[in-house]
Amino acid sequence: MSILQDLSNDLAGAVQTASASIVRVEARRRLAATGIAWSADGLVITSNHGVERDENIRVGLPSGETVDATLIGRDPTTDIAVLRTTASLTVPTWVETSAIKVGHLVLALGRPEADVQATLGVVSAVSGEWRTMAGGRVDVYLQTDVVMYPGFSGGPLISAGGQMLGMNSSSLARGVSLTIPAATLKRVAAALAAHGRVRRGYLGVSAQPVRLPAGLASQIGQETGLLLAAVEPDSPAEKSGLLLGDTLYTMAGQPIRQMDDLMAVLSGDRVGQTVTAGVVRGGQTVEVQVAIGERN
Amino acid sequence: MNGVFAQLNAALTGTIEGVLRSVVQVRDTTRGAGAGTIWHSDGLILTNAHVAQRGSLQVALQDGRVLPATVIARDDERDLAALSIDARDLPTIPIGSSRHLHPGQWVMALGHPWGVTNAVTGGILIGVGSNLPELQMPRRDWVVADLHLRPGNSGGPMIDVSGRLIGVNTLMTGPGVGVAVGVDAAKQFLRESLGARAADAVVHAADYV
Repeated sequence: MSILQDLSNDLAGAVQTASASIVRVEARRRLAATGIAWSADGLVITSNHGVERDENIRVGLPSGETVDATLIGRDPTTDIAVLRTTASLTVPTWVETSAIKVGHLVLALGRPEADVQATLGVVSAVSGEWRTMAGGRVDVYLQTDVVMYPGFSGGPLISAGGQMLGMNSSSLARGVSLTIPAATLKRVAAALAAHGRVRRGYLGVSAQPVRLPAGLASQIGQETGLLLAAVEPDSPAEKSGLLLGDTLYTMAGQPIRQMDDLMAVLSGDRVGQTVTAGVVRGGQTVEVQVAIGERN
Repeated sequence: MNGVFAQLNAALTGTIEGVLRSVVQVRDTTRGAGAGTIWHSDGLILTNAHVAQRGSLQVALQDGRVLPATVIARDDERDLAALSIDARDLPTIPIGSSRHLHPGQWVMALGHPWGVTNAVTGGILIGVGSNLPELQMPRRDWVVADLHLRPGNSGGPMIDVSGRLIGVNTLMTGPGVGVAVGVDAAKQFLRESLGARAADAVVHAADYV
């Protein structure tokens, strides 16, 4: 048989292999979304935006059977939701995104109806950690040119071998197809299973990056910090004694040069901790003990 | 190394060369041009109903001949039409089935997008059936693929990797999704609307399966 026939058969085979782990998620009025079997005892991972209601959620299994599901938790910042069913599920093989290279052929799969559907594309870009518009941390930036057919959100991106690379979401960025890698799915799913949500630290400030005065910059060893442009009343920041006009340049031992640096420090495991913040106040460096709160 | 990519390209062009002989251009004096497929060697051409609007039609063959065509059957609901031209021994296309397709398999569409003759686009099969999202039109067996269709592709063949006809290019949903009427619906259309002559043509075509 020709190589073209081989390729075609391999692609269809990869779809068939993966389809045993792909479910339909009925949790919104219009079109159903897609989910991926997460644990053999019934957990399903899907896209948060496809789960519009918290109750009366149904999951359509590869066998054709439809079962009830409950919402374990959701993280809008990474567009991930986890559901529990009582079904026995076939867990897929996940592969590390480190094996992915730009140019690799990949498939996006969805099950908005009874059968699995597929689109093909190439990996357009792979790079390091990034933050979504809503502030969620995603371990790998993975962009493809697959067509996200209606109902594909929450479905997997798979390799040519039928292994899962991550979960596709059409709501993280407009006009590009992005995939949330397995590492992020694992981290967020674990947090959702433990707390029902992804905890995030909270200060209650708004800030903007500013250039530090030359003398201080050389003394501190960095060029920029974050000027506190507002401090909310009764917020953790105010209670800790941070003031409007302070320029934050270090926190918990980490340099704070821009907003992303602060977001990284305010991770879920720091909620409730008291950390040392270095600020420039009135031309002098001052240390302030800051108790990190939790964002609601 | 004679890489897989090069082998793939050779296989693709080989398949396309075999099929292109059976692809025609359907010209309509008022509305521009679409595509069609030679179904029967005695001049039966399959195309979309919306390509074969009333008025004088011409069919341009790959050998350069341009012949007047008559609409001998049409079904606006299925968006299919059968044309007849006065020619014999035309190269036909092997007829496949739209029922035994698998999501993920490679498919291609041929036609004349924006008047560019004999253009090919390729992709994989997204799915088949009548209840696909955003395609809730009744009584149609759709073949949906992630490839580009443009005006001028309509009526042309969608084929599998063996060059068999699996659908009639009909419309697109979104920028990158092409939709064809399944070839099984075309077989049914020809049987229903053309009686003895089509039955003959369908049987003849079925020899290639």
